[in-house]
Amino acid sequence: MPPQGFDVWFVGNRSALFWLALKSGFWTVLTLGFYRFWMKTRLRRWYWSSIRPGGHPLEYVGDPLEKLLGFFIAVVILTFYIGIVNLLLMFVSFSVFESSFLGYFASFLGVIPVWFYAQYRARRYVLGRTRWRGVRFGLEPGAWGYAWRALVHWIITLCTAGILWPRMTFYLEKYKTDRTFFGSAKLVQGGRWQMLIPAAMPFAASALSLGVLGVWIVWLDPLIPQSAASFEDILGGIDNLADLGQSPLQWEAAWRLWLLIPALMLLIYGAVHYRFVTKRILANHKQAHGVQLRSKLNGLRISMIYVLGTTIAYLILAVGLLGIIGVAVGLLGPEAFLEEQMGIVDPLGDLPRWLSFAIIAALYLSVFLFWSVLHHAFVTYPLMRHMALTLSLLNVAGLAQVSQRARDEFAEAEGFAEALDLGAAI
Amino acid sequence: MSGPPELPVTPQKRLPMGAYFDGDSPVPRDATLRVDRGAGVLEITTPDFMPSGLRWPLGEIRLLDDIAGKEGAILRWTGDPLARLHLSQRELLRDMPHLKRRTAPKGRGRLAAWAFAAVAAVAVQIGVLVPLLADRLATFVPPAGERALGEATFEQIRQALAGTGLPPLPTCEGEDGVAALEQMLVALGVERGGDQAVQVFVLDHEMVNAFALPGGYVVFFRGMIDAAESPNEIAAVLAHEVGHVENRDPTRHALRSAGSIGILGLLFGDFAGGAAVLFLTEQLISARYSQGAESGADEYAYSVLEEADISPAALGDIFERLRDKYGDAEGVVAHFVSHPTLGSRITAARDAAREGADYGDILSDEDWTALQAICD
Repeated sequence: MPPQGFDVWFVGNRSALFWLALKSGFWTVLTLGFYRFWMKTRLRRWYWSSIRPGGHPLEYVGDPLEKLLGFFIAVVILTFYIGIVNLLLMFVSFSVFESSFLGYFASFLGVIPVWFYAQYRARRYVLGRTRWRGVRFGLEPGAWGYAWRALVHWIITLCTAGILWPRMTFYLEKYKTDRTFFGSAKLVQGGRWQMLIPAAMPFAASALSLGVLGVWIVWLDPLIPQSAASFEDILGGIDNLADLGQSPLQWEAAWRLWLLIPALMLLIYGAVHYRFVTKRILANHKQAHGVQLRSKLNGLRISMIYVLGTTIAYLILAVGLLGIIGVAVGLLGPEAFLEEQMGIVDPLGDLPRWLSFAIIAALYLSVFLFWSVLHHAFVTYPLMRHMALTLSLLNVAGLAQVSQRARDEFAEAEGFAEALDLGAAI
Repeated sequence: MSGPPELPVTPQKRLPMGAYFDGDSPVPRDATLRVDRGAGVLEITTPDFMPSGLRWPLGEIRLLDDIAGKEGAILRWTGDPLARLHLSQRELLRDMPHLKRRTAPKGRGRLAAWAFAAVAAVAVQIGVLVPLLADRLATFVPPAGERALGEATFEQIRQALAGTGLPPLPTCEGEDGVAALEQMLVALGVERGGDQAVQVFVLDHEMVNAFALPGGYVVFFRGMIDAAESPNEIAAVLAHEVGHVENRDPTRHALRSAGSIGILGLLFGDFAGGAAVLFLTEQLISARYSQGAESGADEYAYSVLEEADISPAALGDIFERLRDKYGDAEGVVAHFVSHPTLGSRITAARDAAREGADYGDILSDEDWTALQAICD
């Protein structure tokens, strides 16, 4: 065994992934979504086997049927929670607050702890079904501990206007990493939370510049000087602008609005940069049995992949959706949507209408299928490849002391995450 | 992009090589491989690890599926779930007959049991628990809450009818028409004045429909008034909708859908979910009221009409007229017409009228003309 280190290789090409995703996505559509457990399993097997530290691929041994079982279990438990709790919240919301918004808001809040719980459980399942060189990874139980910590960290982060966000990122990652095993070797997250602050700088800078721009446009040198004018006047002005093609309002240096575009782009860059560069910093402070991770991930490159890939995927989604709306209006007439909202349509009343619905549903599903395939090919794949190729293992001598760990049996797999649509990319 | 490093090859032996992982230690063992066709086994020799070597029966060797990259292969033996053999070349695979055979899934009974439980849980929830609870709770929602809910819903409907970016669809305010409606309500003995009084609106839209919303909102579309041939038919529909209001059906319905829609969202994932949820929700909502609620509202209408000296048969008349006129057409008519019990509801309405009795009209001809012109 070489004492120095391993590079991580990434094999597998985009077109193979594209076809695998397309094929399994097609089955998912045909089975009204039930094949998705198989789709997920197959895609994970493929991605995992692409990532090869030291030339040996990771192996994903998750089973689609256990995912299906987990999903059923989660449905049994969550239906009662969501059905009854939603109804009660809605009742209180109607009765006491005379609006339905509060009920929706409360039912959203109520799901958040379950959401964190499900996130941890899903990670435990995926790690428990991942092997490298025949040895299992694992994550110790601790989902509720994670859920309440995540809640407290979020509250602290919100109360400090996001300044302590790096602290949350660090401690939540530390909680998960310190419970992660490779065989008998326990991973340890070293470092301090302050080391993540530099990664937040681009985001902070962009948020600050956006704030400064806002203050400049709204207060210091208002875009619309007659700021005393009422909101209606401004709306009327916009109406005139549309009708007469002229602006009665005195726009003061309207060119400044163009500054919003680079500021917003910088904000997106800052967010992606933070998300992935913190991963790099955290990885560089992880070790187990003296084996260390070394990541040279490039924040700018990742941001480019992310933005371009997402743009391609969403662009195609938008084009497809417009097409569907066109077909739907053509088939059903413009009033159909309203009737549908009011619940006075009976689609089974006569066959042509029913058929129209089937056609629209099929189109809708196909667009989402295609979007997810494109997302795999243009976002997930290049991101994974970059992360894998920039990663290496150091001081791998410690691997010799590692031995197998017991199988983590748990029935509900990632059922909660699945039922709550925690849309992990894979 | 470069591939993985070549696995070591020892040219003097010319035997295929592989890396063997014993499933305990993450250390690769250089293995020499030889297929013994006579014995039907693959001999795996790992000199520096296990001098005796291993023998995997050829028929029990499986190939890992969905592996990225075209080169090499990873094998496992059904007798040892953890051990793995990594090959750099695929030639050896030809001698293994059942590489792709799947093992029968374990725990199918358990899976079926949970599948049944999931379906049953959803069915019980949507079919029994949520309606039961909604019916109970609906009677406890204070009138102010109901009214706020109805107002918000009415606003949404008017906005949706007008289309985005436009002001909400106006209600028809023809003075004489409004007075005629008021007269009708009084004649039907509906409580007037106060916060909880029924409010009737007419929307200027050709849809043939009328509906009730929580908080005593009863809404007619102009198309309904155009379709009626006598004011008594409008009075009958009005009495029916007031029946829904009295029975608090709209409130129950709102609570019920709040409970049910979340559950349906659960069942379908983020991928194929949207369309299915839309469709099912729509199905759920379009079966708006149960048959019990409909006949309850009908019963209420008969008695109110009888009190007002209007023939309950008017309700049957308008149902029948809509069915004859529009047949299997669209919207609400389709809904009414496809309703299996519509025929019996028409009969029931006619039976509710006293035989040979002489009923009056709810409005004078003049007032009826005014009501028909409410949107002009």
